[in-house]
Amino acid sequence: MFGASDNEEDRRRFLRRVGLIGLAQVAGFGVLGARLYQLQVVDQRQYGELAEANRTMRQVIAPLRGRIFDRNGRIVADTVERFQAMVTPSLAGDLEAVLDRIHAIRPLSQDERRRVMEAARGQSANTSIVVIDDITWREVAALNFHALRLPGVHTQIAGERRYQTGPELGRIVGYMGRVERFALDDDPVLRLPTIKVGRLGVERGLEKQLRGQGGFVAREVDARRRIVRTLEQADPQRGRDVALTIDPATQKRLLARLSGHRRAAGVVLDIATGDVIALGAHPAFDASRLSAPMSEADWRKVREAQGDPLIDRASQGLYPPGSTFKMITALAALEAGVITRFDQIHCPGYVAMGRRRFRCWNRGGHGPCDLHRAIRESCDVYFYEVARKLGIRRIADMARRFGLGQSYDAGIEPIKSGLIPDPEWKRGRFGKEWYGGETLLAGIGQGYVLSTPLQLAVMTARLASGRDILPTLVRPRVDGVTQAKALKINKGHLAAVQKAMSAVVNEGGGTGKEARLNDQRLQIYGKTGTSQVARISSSVGRDQLPWRLRDHALFVGYVVDSAPRYAVAAVVEHGGSGGKVAAPLVRDIIADTVAIDAAARPVFDVSAGQRVAGGRARGRQR
Amino acid sequence: MRAHLQIAGGDLTIGQKLLRVPWLAFVVMALIVCIGLASLYSVAGGSFSPWAERHVVRFLAGAGLMLVIAVIPRGFWLGLANPVYLIALVLVGAVLFIGTEGGGAKRWLSLGGVTFQPSEVMKLALILALARYYQWLGPERVSHPLWMIAPILLIAAPVGLTLMQPDLGTAILLSVIGLAIMFLAGVHLLYFLGGAAGVALAAPYAWSMLHPYQRKRLEVFLNPDTDPLGAGYHIAQSKIALGSGGLTGRGFMNGTQSQLDFLPEKRTDFIFTMFAEEWGFIGSLVLIGLFAALTLMLLVMASRCASPFSRLVIAGTGVMIFIYTFINVAMVSGLVPVVGVPLPLVSYGGTSMMTIALAMGLSMCAYVHRGQGMPRRIGVVV
Repeated sequence: MFGASDNEEDRRRFLRRVGLIGLAQVAGFGVLGARLYQLQVVDQRQYGELAEANRTMRQVIAPLRGRIFDRNGRIVADTVERFQAMVTPSLAGDLEAVLDRIHAIRPLSQDERRRVMEAARGQSANTSIVVIDDITWREVAALNFHALRLPGVHTQIAGERRYQTGPELGRIVGYMGRVERFALDDDPVLRLPTIKVGRLGVERGLEKQLRGQGGFVAREVDARRRIVRTLEQADPQRGRDVALTIDPATQKRLLARLSGHRRAAGVVLDIATGDVIALGAHPAFDASRLSAPMSEADWRKVREAQGDPLIDRASQGLYPPGSTFKMITALAALEAGVITRFDQIHCPGYVAMGRRRFRCWNRGGHGPCDLHRAIRESCDVYFYEVARKLGIRRIADMARRFGLGQSYDAGIEPIKSGLIPDPEWKRGRFGKEWYGGETLLAGIGQGYVLSTPLQLAVMTARLASGRDILPTLVRPRVDGVTQAKALKINKGHLAAVQKAMSAVVNEGGGTGKEARLNDQRLQIYGKTGTSQVARISSSVGRDQLPWRLRDHALFVGYVVDSAPRYAVAAVVEHGGSGGKVAAPLVRDIIADTVAIDAAARPVFDVSAGQRVAGGRARGRQR
Repeated sequence: MRAHLQIAGGDLTIGQKLLRVPWLAFVVMALIVCIGLASLYSVAGGSFSPWAERHVVRFLAGAGLMLVIAVIPRGFWLGLANPVYLIALVLVGAVLFIGTEGGGAKRWLSLGGVTFQPSEVMKLALILALARYYQWLGPERVSHPLWMIAPILLIAAPVGLTLMQPDLGTAILLSVIGLAIMFLAGVHLLYFLGGAAGVALAAPYAWSMLHPYQRKRLEVFLNPDTDPLGAGYHIAQSKIALGSGGLTGRGFMNGTQSQLDFLPEKRTDFIFTMFAEEWGFIGSLVLIGLFAALTLMLLVMASRCASPFSRLVIAGTGVMIFIYTFINVAMVSGLVPVVGVPLPLVSYGGTSMMTIALAMGLSMCAYVHRGQGMPRRIGVVV
C-alpha cells in the first residue's frame, strides 16, 4: 500500500492550503512590519526634529537601608555611604582629556587610569565606569563645581552594609545576599544590579521596613548625550531604623552558660513587655560573615560544622516539650471542668489502654495524686488519665491559647511554628484516623507535639501573667501590639497551677529543686521536662545510651519579685534529665538576668534619632 | 512509475543528497544567526563572552546535526515519530513533578546536569507525530469524523500539560502548529469553522467555571496594563526602545534603552527590541524579511514534495518558525501580551536553537528525498 501521493486532487488541495498558509504568513509579517513602521518611523516623527536629538534618561536610585541598633542604642548594622566618581565614555568624548582634568582635582594613580581606559574599551560606551570608588565630600563638591569642564562625569552614592554584631548578635541580626528571583510585582529597586536583600534574622524579617523607598531621576540629554536638565526627580526615602530588644550583656552571659553543653538553646523574655532579652543557641555563629563573599571551602566548612551552627535552635529547633507541657493539660482540664484541683488519681506506675501500657517515669508509681502533687512530682499517669477525659481537641485549643503551634511576627525570620497535633492535622498529613493513645502522649507533651524554646518561653510568660504575651525582638514592634490582653483563664485555676510550679522548685519532692536560688527576695517557679527521643527498653541504663538517643533535658521557669519579671526556657539536646541538667542551667540564666536586669532600662528609641556610638557620619571628612 | 516509488534513499549517494539540500534556506538561517550574534555581542557590552560565543557554537553544532539528519532516509524518522512523541509527552508531564521553577512556572527539566525545556522538544514531536499519522491515514479518510479523534488527542495532550505548568505561550504555539498541520493535511474547512464557533460559545461558560483568582490571573495576563509596574512596564520600555531606534537606528552597541538596563530579558525574549533599537526600522525590516524568506521557502519546499509526511514536516516547520517569530515580535512591540516566546535563531538559549536545528534538519531530509513515495504503514504501533 502506498500513499496516494500521486493523487492529483489531493495535490491541488494541498497547494491551495499551502497557498492560504503562505498568505496568512505574509499578512502576519505585514502586520509586524506595519507595527514597527508605526513605532519606529511614524511615532518617532511625532516629536518633531527635537525628539531626534533629545531624549530622557531615567534612573532608579537605591534607598539607604535602615540601621539596626542594639537595646542600648549602639549601632550593630549600618549602611555606610560612599561617594563614587563615575564617568560615561560616550558622554565624555575625549576620555583621556577628561581623566586629566579629574586628575587636577583629585590625583589619579596610573593603575586607576589604566583600569578606566581598559574598562572603556571592553564595554559599551553608554555604561558608566567607576573612576574613584571612595571620594570625600569635599572632592564631590569640587567635581560638581567643575562639572561643565567634565562632560560625562557624575557622582553617586553607594551604600554598603557594615556589621558590628560579634558572635552574640550575628545570628539575630542576620545578613544580606543578592536577589535570587524576581517577581513581576517587585519593587523596581530590586532590579538594580547592586542591590541586596536580607536573608536571615532581622535583615530578612524586616526586609520591607529596612529597605525604604527607591527614588528616581529623569534627565533630558542632548544629541551629544550631555545632560541638558533634570526633568523630574524623587529622592529615595531611607529605610526605617530599628532597635533590638536583645540586651548584649545578658545575651553574652546566656551564650556562655549554654556553651557548657554540647548543643543547647535558651530564651529570656521580659514578661511585662514580651521583649526578648536574650535568645541564643550553642554552637553559636556570627551570620554576618555570610554577607561577605566566601570561598566554597569555607562555606562547606560552615555548613558541615559540628552541631549545625547555621540553625538557630532557640527559634528554629523543634523539641517535644515533654513534661513542661503538663501545665497546659492541667489548665485545659480545669477550664473544661473534667477535674477539680482536689480530685485524686491513683498512679500505679502505668495506665493500660487497649493492649498498650503507658508508663509513668516513676515505675513504682506515685500513689494517689492531686493536681498539685502531679505537677510537683511530674506524674505521667495523672496526665494520661486527664488527657483521656479531655480529648485531644481541648488540649490543642489550650496549647494554642498559650502560644504553641504558631509563628510570631517578632521581627526575625525564619521562626518555626512547631506542631500542636489534632485529628484534622493527622488526616491531612498521614491520611489516618487519630488514636486514643496519641491523646495520652500529647497530654504529657510527647508524641507529635513539637515546640521551640522561644514558644516555651512565651508559654511560661503567659502562665506567669495570665496575659496574651507576644514576643518581639525589635522596636518598634512589627505586630503593632501595645498591650497584652488577658487570656480569660479562671484566676483560681491559674493560681493553682502557679502554686504547683512553685512547688516544683521549692517543695520537698519537687523535680526542679536544682533551680532554687538563694535569694529571699526572688521566687522561682518552674517545670522540668525530660522528653524522650527514642523508645528504650527498661534494661539499659539511660546514661549508657549513645548521645544521640538520650533524652532532651528541658526546663521552663519564671522569676517573681513584686511582680513576674522574666520567663526563661532552656533545652539541652540529649542532655538527659531535665531536673538534673536543665534546671540548674535555667537557675544560672535567671541569676545572670536578674543581676544585669536589662528590663529596668527601656529599649533605645529609634524615633529619637540620636546616634549613640559607632558608624560614621554622612560625608566623611579628612 | 513503480520504479521511482521505491522506498528508502538507496538510489541517491550521500554526495547527491548533499547537493539536493536546500542551501539557500541554510544561508538564510546563517544570516539570521549572524544577527543574533551581533545582538548578543552588544548585550554583553561589546564582548563575545559569555553569550555570543556560545550562541555560535550551538549553531555550528546544530548545523552539523541538520546535515546528518538530512541525508538519513526518511523511513527512519517516520519510524521514530511515535516513540519521540511519547517520550516528549512523558518529559512534559514529568516537568510538573520534578521540574525546576523559573519565573513562577515549572518549565525546566534537569537530566544528568543538562537543563532543558521539554516543551520545546514537544513542538517538534507533535509535528512528526501528526505528519506520520496523516502519512498512514491517506487522503481519502482525512475528513472522516472517526479519524479526527487521534490528531485532536495528539494535540490536546501536550497542550493540556503545558497549560498546567502554567505556560500559556507554549500551549498556544502547540495548538496553532497542530491545527495548521491538520489544515494542511486537508481536513474539511467546516471542522475549523465549527471549532471556532464552538470555542466562541464555550468561552463564557468556561469563564464562569474559573475560580476568582484564576480569573484575575487571566485578566492580568490578557491585559498587562492592569499591572503597569510589572509586565506593562516592560512593554512600555520595549516600545520606547523601538521608537528610539527610529528609521536608521542608534548604531551598533549604542542602544541607550537596552544598554542602560531598562529592557528585561534582553538576551532572550526581548532581543528583537535590542536589535531594532540599534539598527532601526531598516534593520527590523531586514530581519523580518529574512524570516519571511525562510518560512515561505519552507512552504515552497513543501509544495514540491509528494508524500504527506514530507509535506507536513516541512510546512509544519515553516508554521512553527513563523508563529515563533510572529508572537515574539508582536509581543515586544506590544501587539500581544508577554508570553515568553523566544525569537528563533536569535534569542540566546540552547533548547530553542536545538529545536529549530532538528526541525530544519527533518525538513531538509524530507526535501532531499522528495521525489520518492513513502509506504503508508510502518511497523511502529502507537
